[in-house]
Amino acid sequence: MPIFDQGYQHWSGTLRGHAWRWLAITRHGVKIGRKSLFLRAFLFLAWAPALVLAFMLCIWGLVERKSDLVGQVSGLLGFLAPDILAHPLQYRVTVWTLFYSQFLQVELYLSIVLILLVGPNLISQDLRFNAMPLYFSRPLRRIDYFLGKLGIIAAFLGMVVIVPAIVAYILGLLFSHDITIIRDTLPILLASIAYGAVISLSAGMLVLALSSLSRNSRYTALFWLGTLLVGMTISWALNEIDKDQRRYAYVQENGRIQSQRMESDPAIREHARLEQEKRAQEALDRETVAAQHNWRPLVSYTANLSRIGDHLLNTRATWVALSKFVPADQRQAYLLEKLDPQYPWYWSAEVLAVLFGLSAWILNFRVRSLDRLK
Amino acid sequence: MLFQFQDVTKTYGPVTALNSLSLSVPAGAVGLLGPNGSGKTTMIRALLGLIPLDRGSGEVLGMDFRHRQLDIRRAIGFAPEDECLFPRVEGIEFVAYAGQLVGMSAKDSLQRSHEVLDYVGLGEARYRKVESYSTGMKQRLKLASAIVHDPKLLILDEPTNGMDPAGRDDIIKLAHDLAHNKNMSVLFSSHLLPDVEAVCDHVVVLGGGKLLTQGTIKELKQAHRQRFEVRLKAEPAPFASRLSALGCTAELRDDLIMVQLPEGHSQQMLWEIAAEQK
Repeated sequence: MPIFDQGYQHWSGTLRGHAWRWLAITRHGVKIGRKSLFLRAFLFLAWAPALVLAFMLCIWGLVERKSDLVGQVSGLLGFLAPDILAHPLQYRVTVWTLFYSQFLQVELYLSIVLILLVGPNLISQDLRFNAMPLYFSRPLRRIDYFLGKLGIIAAFLGMVVIVPAIVAYILGLLFSHDITIIRDTLPILLASIAYGAVISLSAGMLVLALSSLSRNSRYTALFWLGTLLVGMTISWALNEIDKDQRRYAYVQENGRIQSQRMESDPAIREHARLEQEKRAQEALDRETVAAQHNWRPLVSYTANLSRIGDHLLNTRATWVALSKFVPADQRQAYLLEKLDPQYPWYWSAEVLAVLFGLSAWILNFRVRSLDRLK
Repeated sequence: MLFQFQDVTKTYGPVTALNSLSLSVPAGAVGLLGPNGSGKTTMIRALLGLIPLDRGSGEVLGMDFRHRQLDIRRAIGFAPEDECLFPRVEGIEFVAYAGQLVGMSAKDSLQRSHEVLDYVGLGEARYRKVESYSTGMKQRLKLASAIVHDPKLLILDEPTNGMDPAGRDDIIKLAHDLAHNKNMSVLFSSHLLPDVEAVCDHVVVLGGGKLLTQGTIKELKQAHRQRFEVRLKAEPAPFASRLSALGCTAELRDDLIMVQLPEGHSQQMLWEIAAEQK
């Protein structure tokens, strides 16, 4: 006999403790996010840099082992100096850091796009559909709510930054056949994971704060893009203005010396040539000094994150090591280009900390408990 | 004892939402009656531990709502008055998520969601997006999400708001069934007396943040045959004095007089006094 109506049944299960309550919000948010076909496609594409990283690490493993296959793929590592390929073990850390820093540089921008796809909805939709009474009438504190929402962003960013970094690392280990590689390269992996955590925490809080400012997630997306693009544009403009000022002074000087190089007297021409070289070197020295105190990249949010990443991975040491293979007269210009920006990393840390604090304040103000008169 | 308040006061700036409220309410089906702005929703939020109080204390289900907010909300199910949704989910996900937020495991909450959705009559719509639900369906969905973890106390805040008569009857039947047949205490908050009468046995009446009266429906429905509200087109004070002189209790309130006639006198007395003073 079929039962059509059981009526209400009591439930005698146990409720879990409070500590992991935020995880329910994270799991729910990830489940909702993964329903989007567009997001799934983007996650798939975001793994492309990771595949390239894994491939390059595997190739490097073959180089270290002096495998017979190296000859077939040596063209892929043609950008490295022959001395590096001849003594791979000496340059293991340098090459791994180089590969990881390039990977993370690309993933930073993919992460920004990913946050644009995932982040704006997180709080704005809850405000739009008035979900707060449903959340806070349950045994949930605001900190659990924020942690849960932040966990959603961390989960998606982990899928494109941290997990691929770990998978590529394991593949690199497997192709190396040398146990000492763990000692040498584990700090690089840990730095990558830490960088992924910094991006998750900083960008996650910022996008949550922006999401709490509007019930329309489109406006939140625009706020997010605006924050990044305006910062990048202003930073670039300030940099160019600053460089232009020095270039202008140099061109003025150079113009006077250039006219001396047209003189018929060889002695004057030679003097002018030496003078020009000296001025060029002085200009390069001024650029080098200016680069160490150039605060203008601080205006760009992505530049700040990138600076932290450079510090964590210690890419400075990598570029200094690689600069030894550059002709001596070009080394300073090479380093000037590769090490940009060079201001102290803790300046960026302070900027990110201030943004974090501001985001926390906005969230605290916008996502209030139900202690209000309707 | 279901809950009790001891001298509870809560203000929002110049507005006093609860004004030295003291009461004790027994377990069972309890109605919370009062006009808009009487303090019903504030009282419910105080019970859930959602708001800090200016003064006073209280307990619900034996737990102090100033200190054990999270434990209280594990034991209570609450269906808010306003339209509230977790966006972009189906009905079954909505209720399961509500269960997980209370602390149920994902498996338990999903299984339980199916049961409660069947119980509230949303079994056929469980795989539809909640944004496509009608008002009545959303109310039932809120009810389902409130009972998914089998709470000891279910609080329904204006559950029949905006519903058609058929939908209203459904909610009332469900609330009545839970309170009287399923051993769940229910606090039914409404400004509609017929809804409260249909569900509840005990009633608390609030007005201006104060307790006006409480008791069983039967006690409160007893006709106060000797008690009248009298409005006059003239100055009420002389009329009230004349009533007092004749042994009545006359209390001036704003533009009316609350009159308690002595035993043995009928309302005819009022007409006679009015004729005298014409």
